[in-house]
Amino acid sequence: MTAALDREQARYIAAQAADARINFEIETEGMTLNMGPQHPATHGTLRIVAKLDAEQVVSAEPIAGYMHRGYEKLSEVRTYPQVTTLINRIDWLGSFANEVPFILAAERLMDIEAPPRAQWIRTALFEMSRIANLVLFAGDTGLQLGGQTAAFYGFRDREHVLNQIEAVTGGRFHPNFDRIGGLKDDLPKGWIAETKTAMAKVRDFCDEIDDLVTGNEIFQARNRGIGVIPADVALSYGLSGANLRGSGVDWDLRRDAPCGLVHPELDWKVYTHPDGDCFSRWWIRIQEIREATRMVDQCLDGLPSGPIMAKVPRIIKVPAGEAYVETENPLGAMGYYVVSKGDLGPFRVKIRSASFNNVSVLSWVLRGVYVPDIVAILSSLYFILGDIDR
Amino acid sequence: MPRPRRSGPRAPWYGKGMLLGLKVTAVEFLRTVFPHRGGLKILKPNPTAGAVTVQYPREKESPTPRARGVIALHEGNCTACMLCARSCPDWCIYIEGHKEQAPPRRPGGKPRQVNALDRFDIDYALCMYCGICVEVCPFEALFWTPEYEYSEPRIADLLHDKSRLGEWMETVPPFEAYEPGSEMKVPKVPPT
Repeated sequence: MTAALDREQARYIAAQAADARINFEIETEGMTLNMGPQHPATHGTLRIVAKLDAEQVVSAEPIAGYMHRGYEKLSEVRTYPQVTTLINRIDWLGSFANEVPFILAAERLMDIEAPPRAQWIRTALFEMSRIANLVLFAGDTGLQLGGQTAAFYGFRDREHVLNQIEAVTGGRFHPNFDRIGGLKDDLPKGWIAETKTAMAKVRDFCDEIDDLVTGNEIFQARNRGIGVIPADVALSYGLSGANLRGSGVDWDLRRDAPCGLVHPELDWKVYTHPDGDCFSRWWIRIQEIREATRMVDQCLDGLPSGPIMAKVPRIIKVPAGEAYVETENPLGAMGYYVVSKGDLGPFRVKIRSASFNNVSVLSWVLRGVYVPDIVAILSSLYFILGDIDR
Repeated sequence: MPRPRRSGPRAPWYGKGMLLGLKVTAVEFLRTVFPHRGGLKILKPNPTAGAVTVQYPREKESPTPRARGVIALHEGNCTACMLCARSCPDWCIYIEGHKEQAPPRRPGGKPRQVNALDRFDIDYALCMYCGICVEVCPFEALFWTPEYEYSEPRIADLLHDKSRLGEWMETVPPFEAYEPGSEMKVPKVPPT
């Protein structure tokens, strides 16, 4: 056993001894609640070790790594087109959004730019993957707080978006559609009209879920004022996406640092909420679905004609260099740091995924809450295990 | 340490939000049971038409023509160049071939040397359905088809050999036309 492990062990035993002494002195029974790895509220396999004092959490610690698939290391032994396949699987609910920052980083290294038509289609698909992701969040949060109806509505209306993604990319969950220098294929005939109908259906879903869940008194009682994350804590833990905007920080990479996508040319709004509780995070995500449907409509209206692929050699060799590109994915800021040495594949890829940072705040925010509120906080922080463990 | 619970704005009277939710489910129920629109037909209940669920073994959904269901092999076009096998991310394509003499194209010509395909297997237990093999094929020998019903009780049976892959060729749909504004040419599926 190494010295570090020895120290850990000693500290653990000392902590146990301290716990036992406290319990003996004030005569309360502490309890360790092991939540997960197979808990439905964890979107995969996240384990939370919560020390309880009666119904209150004294301390909680998220333990990740049960689904580690080693994508950063695997990317080093794959070529650039093959890496795109792998990184589809990081956030499996909004897969297309995972490809975009990586492809943009590779394009920046090769010093090429996708043609305008490809950029507009990319933005439309990027926002559609956000809708597919967040519609499931809306259904899933209802389910975890005890309302099954919302889950069925969410799954039903996500189909409209997934069918459209499948019609153009060929894959429902893993599109693998983005290529360095453009896109794999152009839109099939009739797709734009169908997508606009699907977007109208998603807007109907938002109204329905507002009536069904948002206004529900039980839902509000379980979410308002629960899991409050102040803005300074959110910033210090590196939260991003709706979790950060839910704490009142007005920060959206699509508006503040656009790169390669056409968001600055569209008319849309960034929502923030000052409360920082579970309800504000929920509310912001519902508004984001609405904004995303509007953005998809605008992308399809303003679609320029032209090629969808820049001039790229058949065998892609990316020149030596380093690039970091970060975009606002459904779960938050996702970035790829790509180091190339001029080979067929990247030399090193560092993946900054949103959920890993979003989950790290759990040890702070779960302190002092009651046991049933753990589930409300987990579902409102909205992480996906593929995004935590990569 | 418990933090104070803040109070936010609530519905004007308690229970209004819950009743609104009940209204949503009731409307959804009525829409499912009475899906017909217009005239007296609206009173005729038809829950099978209104339901979203597809009763799978009896009814089937038809995937879009671009759906990546299974890969079909056009054996006549394959030259065993190994490009697909090399570019596969998890190396699930197995190819063996040999060179052989073929009779001349025109009478009186020289005999040609062609690459004959001995083995072309795709292991669908490993396949990630990324479509890189179909994309890199320079001779139009691989095609996607939207067929999806080929599950097997034994995992070894998911290894499709070249005759099985060739059978899928009949199910390849024609390529769709493009949306206006596109500059791409619509490819054609070769006749089997």
